[in-house]
Amino acid sequence: MAHDHAHDHADGHDHAHDHDHKPAFFARWFMSTNHKDIGTLYLIFAIVAGIIGGGVSGIMRYELAEPGIQYLGWWASFLGESNPSFDQTLHLWNVLITAHGLIMVFFMVMPAMIGGFGNWFVPLMIGAPDMAFPRMNNISFWLTVAGFCSLMMSAFVPGGTGQGAGIGWTAYAPLSTYGSQGPAVDFAIFSLHLAGAGSIMGAINFITTIFNMRAPGMTLHKMPLFVWSVLVTAFLLLLALPVLAAAITMLITDRNFHTTFFDPAGGGDPILFQHLFWFFGHPEVYIMILPGFGMISQIVSTFSKKPVFGYLGMAYAMVAIGVVGFVVWAHHMYTTGLSVNTKMYFTLATMVIAVPTGIKIFSWIATMWGGSISFKSPMVWAMGFIFLFTVGGVTGVVLANGGIDDNLQDTYYVVAHFHYVLSLGAVTSLFAGFYYWFPKMSGRWHSEFLSYVHFAIFFVGVNLIFFPMHFLGLQGMPRRYPDPGPFFEHFNEMATLGYKITAFSMLIFFVNIIYALIAGKKAEGNYWGEGADTLEWTLSSPPPFHQFETLPIIEDAAHH
Amino acid sequence: MSPKRKTALIATALALFMLALGWASVPLYRWFCQTTGFGGTTMRATAEQAAAVKPVARTISVRFDANVDSNLPWKFAPEQVTQTAQLGARTMAVFRAKNTSDHAISGTASYNVSPDEVGKYFTKIQCFCFTKQTLQAGQEVRMPVIYYVDPAILLDEEAKAVKQITLSYVFHEDRTSSEKLGAKGLDRAATAR
Amino acid sequence: MTYGEMARRSGSALKAAGMTAVSMAAYGLTSIAARAQEASASAAPAAATSEAAGSYTPMAPTPGVGMPVDGRIGFQQQFSPTGHYALAMHDKLLMPVITIISILVLLLLVWVVYRFRAGKNPIASKNSHNTLLEVVWTLVPVLILVGISVPSISLLSKQYKPAPENALTVKVTGNQWYWTYGYPDNGGFEVISNMLNIPGQPEINAGIREAGSKPYDGPAHLEVDNRLVLPAGEPIRLQTMGADVIHSFAVPALWFKLDAVPGRINEKVLFIEKPGVYYGQCSELCGARHGYMPIAVEALPRDKFNAWVLTHAGGVIDHQPKPAAAPAAAAPAATASEAPAADASAPAPSASTAPGA
Repeated sequence: MAHDHAHDHADGHDHAHDHDHKPAFFARWFMSTNHKDIGTLYLIFAIVAGIIGGGVSGIMRYELAEPGIQYLGWWASFLGESNPSFDQTLHLWNVLITAHGLIMVFFMVMPAMIGGFGNWFVPLMIGAPDMAFPRMNNISFWLTVAGFCSLMMSAFVPGGTGQGAGIGWTAYAPLSTYGSQGPAVDFAIFSLHLAGAGSIMGAINFITTIFNMRAPGMTLHKMPLFVWSVLVTAFLLLLALPVLAAAITMLITDRNFHTTFFDPAGGGDPILFQHLFWFFGHPEVYIMILPGFGMISQIVSTFSKKPVFGYLGMAYAMVAIGVVGFVVWAHHMYTTGLSVNTKMYFTLATMVIAVPTGIKIFSWIATMWGGSISFKSPMVWAMGFIFLFTVGGVTGVVLANGGIDDNLQDTYYVVAHFHYVLSLGAVTSLFAGFYYWFPKMSGRWHSEFLSYVHFAIFFVGVNLIFFPMHFLGLQGMPRRYPDPGPFFEHFNEMATLGYKITAFSMLIFFVNIIYALIAGKKAEGNYWGEGADTLEWTLSSPPPFHQFETLPIIEDAAHH
Repeated sequence: MSPKRKTALIATALALFMLALGWASVPLYRWFCQTTGFGGTTMRATAEQAAAVKPVARTISVRFDANVDSNLPWKFAPEQVTQTAQLGARTMAVFRAKNTSDHAISGTASYNVSPDEVGKYFTKIQCFCFTKQTLQAGQEVRMPVIYYVDPAILLDEEAKAVKQITLSYVFHEDRTSSEKLGAKGLDRAATAR
Repeated sequence: MTYGEMARRSGSALKAAGMTAVSMAAYGLTSIAARAQEASASAAPAAATSEAAGSYTPMAPTPGVGMPVDGRIGFQQQFSPTGHYALAMHDKLLMPVITIISILVLLLLVWVVYRFRAGKNPIASKNSHNTLLEVVWTLVPVLILVGISVPSISLLSKQYKPAPENALTVKVTGNQWYWTYGYPDNGGFEVISNMLNIPGQPEINAGIREAGSKPYDGPAHLEVDNRLVLPAGEPIRLQTMGADVIHSFAVPALWFKLDAVPGRINEKVLFIEKPGVYYGQCSELCGARHGYMPIAVEALPRDKFNAWVLTHAGGVIDHQPKPAAAPAAAAPAATASEAPAADASAPAPSASTAPGA
């Protein structure tokens, strides 16, 4: 940090100069080392990936709307298989579910949450001039892009019964080893290697930044909760992703180099892959939601004009969720033939997670309690988040019970559950964060009116998609079926209607962004006013290209 | 070293440690299964170790299940569907395997017992599954397995309720000619309990 | 308009479209009502009529029983003791608890919106700690979870109660993409079970008839050429194994799901209370035709089951003294070796018995 002081501009001086300091277009966006630019790149990337992943779910929802196979054949030809056989057509379905899962997890939610908002606001909130390792930050981003390209390429090469990798995002062996011949699966696995490497580097960067570059006076216990959430997330990434990397590398060697890690023919065990995958996979779901928790805390506090209720409890609840998240993985494997004692342990351990989650929900409400709440669009989204996440959370308590899960495992009840916590939870928090910070990032106002309309339509749409899925699951509709049968038609039709509504709400979102960029009025530094008291609000909107060249001093009175 | 670099190095070391742990999970998982009988992994004992086990009056029923991987042209079946074994006493069961193809093929068997809880008590002394088996074209052989069920099962809350143990085998084609597969397997030398 | 029709077909379910919380409450009520209706209607399924040993006609399923019903919002009616227990736990304990929690959070949010909006409460309090409150909302969830864990653990131990020694053992093998059912206690014959082709859809299993071409056929998508026939009213030791990749044997009406993993055997006890036909679908992604390998379980009274066994070459009644002429060695057929080659496009064999014995 010493050399940051070397510049030693006066604070007010920054503005006049920084425009001159911006590199030219190519260098700025393709060789970027600026955390805000990289954050912007991540957000744009996440939006592009989200459009593709959302489009894939559109194909799936249209196919599921009525019994029989209607559209898959056309899409199979569209993707380059002339005269696809019925098996190739069905294979496309598995490619779609795989792509949707991988895109949304690795290339939409994670880049947006951690890469986008994390990069933008962690340095701003802790009063740092940039991330600890700006060049590594750039590598992280481009590795993610390369990973995405690898995944896209996998759709156009053979993957067994058809083109593309049809192994599910879980890539269970042996379907992903000798069960799927052809390079598509290798491409898909390699894409996870790339994205995973990028995320691990990102995690190292965040941990180093947060531990070493906080402004003088900002102790760990004074950090904004969003920074806490990114810190916990970074640790989860650091500890979970290498295990995935090891597991999928073993898949690659099983596929190509005659090893038998997961092949019983050589003394391996397919169940071991599931243990490894879910040892990563369960922390992964917290990786996707914890930064959302952080954003919701900032937003609720800002618009209630109150400090967060039970700050320490909130911070350590996230730590607790992260820690417990590492010892509950086998609740994804209740039907694999676990012994009764194993199942009992994982049932109890899983239920424990409800406790810190409950602390967070109630603390958010307590933060609002006694506040003077203004219902700006981020607040409305945040309140939507709290309710939807609760609904998703309580069905998790149902699924935690090993004996109940015997009927619900791999049904649409599970699909409903994880979309409530991720699609309606994580994504809702992403929109809340987006409307909260968009004027800060762009310097221009979005339309608050359109943001409300976006919320209202989105809320109706996603509930209409995912709530009926609980009923489908209870009646027994299995996951990953292109044509589950006419006895599931009613709620599938309803869900598809919900998809159309949600897609329309996304249109409003894009109109809103375009409007803001073209005609949005200029945003001042602290446009939310009283209540918005973290460090990013002390800067202009958008913040100067290089900020905090004189480090801000956090005094005791300043609150988290 | 700057504090930034130090933090980054510690974080990198942590990531590398987890990566190593991911790879180490393969032997660790095997060791865990062999120690605890997790997943119905059976135990292994030498003849001397088996001789030290005192038979008790109780018996348990053992069922035998034989399977062949779909790409291995063998027939493989137990000579007895079930058998009653005295706890602690050496018992022999025989399987019959036949190579129905016109060339010699080697196979190795994977195996487990169910229910899972009894893995810790089901101890093999001799088994065709310990090594790779080679059958000439059209050759038919009888393959014995000698085992005992550890009387300690009577002290286990969960396992003692089990009324019948199923010992299951799947024969796979041995695709490597190296010796390393012969030495693998999920058994271990039983330690005195 | 399709959605208009939908609304007429199932008014109560449409509540899902609106307020989620309202719908969650409605769920409990309507599902109980639906179940009461079912219970009175289920009674005696049309059973196979033939009495003579060695003859068998498949049973016609009772519509809406042992299979999913369009527009219904609860679990399927249960036909096993653990199923009843689990269903009661879900409907009487879990559903009320999670509904109350969701509504509580919703009401708190609504109250906060009303009471603490800037217009009504212009000055925010700065209160951000209340130790008592924090202890309460930590301990109360803990107590609720302890309350849930008691029946949950008890359910698990019921599900894992080992089968008696002489329980009928049936071996289920998952293949890409059909099931085979082995009966080692009944002479070791094996049944190969393929989905019937769906009228109006491309042929999935070449050489297999279409669903609905026989009077006893259940719904297309679920009906198979040869069902898994089991005796009702006695514990069955069901063992699963995968021949190629992982499959999962699932029958929702029996609260039963167990993965079929290649290279290792899994086992669980199945108890079917009443004769009837119960359908399920493969529940672990297993490749292209994952959605086209349903499970049909036909539970028969013991004597009819025995008669069915005797229709198979080499079929013997389990746990009977064996005739001296039948050497035990000839009995069990190696399951996997009868399966077709791994060629993905090859139609699955349709023979009802393997020639193994």
